[in-house]
Amino acid sequence: MGLLWLATQNLSRRAYRTVMLAAAVAVAAGAVFATTVVLRGIDQSLTRGLNKFGADLLVVPQNALVNMKAALLTGEPSTFYLPESVIADARAISGVTKISPQLFLSTANGQHCIVGNAFLVGIDPGTDFTVLPWLTNKLDRPFTDGDAVVGGNSPYGLGDVIYFYGQYFIVYGKLDRTGIGLYDNAIFISIDRAYGLAEAAKKYEDVPALGFKRGDVSAILIQIGNAAKANLVRFALARNPEIKVVTAGNVITSVRQNVAVLFGGTLVLASVLVIANILMITATFSSIVNERRRELGLLRAIGATRHSVFRLVEAEALALTTLGGLFGIVVGAVLLRIFTRTIGYNLELLNIPFLWPSPAEMGGVAAAVVALSMLVGTIGAAYPAIAGSRMDPYDSIRTGE
Amino acid sequence: MIECKDVSKAYQIGDMVTEAVRNICFKVEVGEFLAILGHSGSGKSTLLSIIGGLTRPSGGQVAVDGEDIWQWSDNERARFRNCTIGFVFQFASLIPTLTVLDNIALPSLFGEGMTRAARLRARDLAGIVGLSDKVDSYPSEISGGQQRRVAISRAFLNDPKIVLADEPTGDLDEATEAQVMDLFTGMCRQHKTTILMVTHNRDLIKSADRTLVMKDGGIL
Repeated sequence: MGLLWLATQNLSRRAYRTVMLAAAVAVAAGAVFATTVVLRGIDQSLTRGLNKFGADLLVVPQNALVNMKAALLTGEPSTFYLPESVIADARAISGVTKISPQLFLSTANGQHCIVGNAFLVGIDPGTDFTVLPWLTNKLDRPFTDGDAVVGGNSPYGLGDVIYFYGQYFIVYGKLDRTGIGLYDNAIFISIDRAYGLAEAAKKYEDVPALGFKRGDVSAILIQIGNAAKANLVRFALARNPEIKVVTAGNVITSVRQNVAVLFGGTLVLASVLVIANILMITATFSSIVNERRRELGLLRAIGATRHSVFRLVEAEALALTTLGGLFGIVVGAVLLRIFTRTIGYNLELLNIPFLWPSPAEMGGVAAAVVALSMLVGTIGAAYPAIAGSRMDPYDSIRTGE
Repeated sequence: MIECKDVSKAYQIGDMVTEAVRNICFKVEVGEFLAILGHSGSGKSTLLSIIGGLTRPSGGQVAVDGEDIWQWSDNERARFRNCTIGFVFQFASLIPTLTVLDNIALPSLFGEGMTRAARLRARDLAGIVGLSDKVDSYPSEISGGQQRRVAISRAFLNDPKIVLADEPTGDLDEATEAQVMDLFTGMCRQHKTTILMVTHNRDLIKSADRTLVMKDGGIL
């Protein structure tokens, strides 16, 4: 048994004060934990999703940039089109190694589609490098023209049949969840079949005409070689005034700006709570040290060094804030569990992708928050601990005489 | 064994300098029971704290076994207080959050560690002062006299060579006072423990081998 034992004896015999102080630390720790988990979820979703996206550059019509970001992040159906000639222009640029078009269309409300306002994306199976290569959950045969790939949020499973514009598609594969709306919510079909849908739609009087013609594309995904400079390729593409070039970085920045707006206040509040906790620990432990002058003087008289007194005060603060930190993690986890749906819904409204971090990552965040709580205790109690260790033992023993 | 040479202690409060202890010189031999008699404010407690390594003197030397303890580092003096000295203060001075047993065993925490052996020794000491049935009680659950006996037991935990007792029987009843004095004289005779006891009670000095009388910071 050592100083930590002595510290825990002090804490356990002053249970009310210990619980109240630990609760104050827990509030801050819980807030920091919950905020960090959500931010980490957003960040990882972005990184994972956009890495999986695999394209270095995305070419869209000049006036469709905002729509494209919304389409990408939330999977909200967006329809805008570019002439096919842009593909040939892009392919001619030095440094471009892969290029693949996508065509966006939305399903219609009515009897010809199984579900209205779903986001359909036509991909070219021959050149696609952002959907088909990432499929792990798929039928044991090659992708065909009558197949569809659904996102991770889709209710459909492998082999299910989906009905759009009077045509049937078999669910060939299902993507893993990424948090990026386009990949989680959209349904991918062959681009040729998409053109066919547009023609088929003309047969139905109750379905508005799809506003594109065979050969049009909505976006062009470009991968550039390792040696190529992205900015040069981007500059070459941007000479066409009708197009806009988007990078993954653009999208991440845009999301982070949204995140900053949403969580800026929360982060400031969490920081204020941490600082308030440090000040609270300093004030409380100054008072504790003063109140226990005689005890500390006695400890010095029976052999405690100055360093022992310093360590005793620090150990008490450390034990207290560790307890508070652990309690805070439990509180934060419970709150996150209660508000799981609300968080997901609100982030989706703000075009912010979100994927819960893995249990291991949450454990890492929890460990970091407990470590932060311990740091709060160590820093907060430093001044009182130094003051306590410097007190004259004899004067301290005679306190109150 | 203990030698005080011209020990003095002055406190400065504002422009005023108060001499609590003035040019004290005396020797105490191993196993001697020395009483220091004096009225309140005569400087006897300050002198005891200087000898115990708690208050730095303004001048002079305190030599224990030939070494000036005030030339040692703070850590060396802490070790000296832990291993060589046993303090008994004017008040019970117990840690309220520890049981009687833990209070008695507390000095071991800063020495060898609070081992099973230390706790067994603490239990024995509690028995010697008649508190065997109170070892699991907290200070707030026992009387003032019992608290004082716990503090005295604690002073003897590490088999100290020197016990410095500052009014050790201050608020004890006569019977307990006699028990404490018997304990002191017993330890002094059987274990050659050197005892310096500060008191203003003339009845207590009968147990001592020698008495020094202090007045206004000096020895008469």
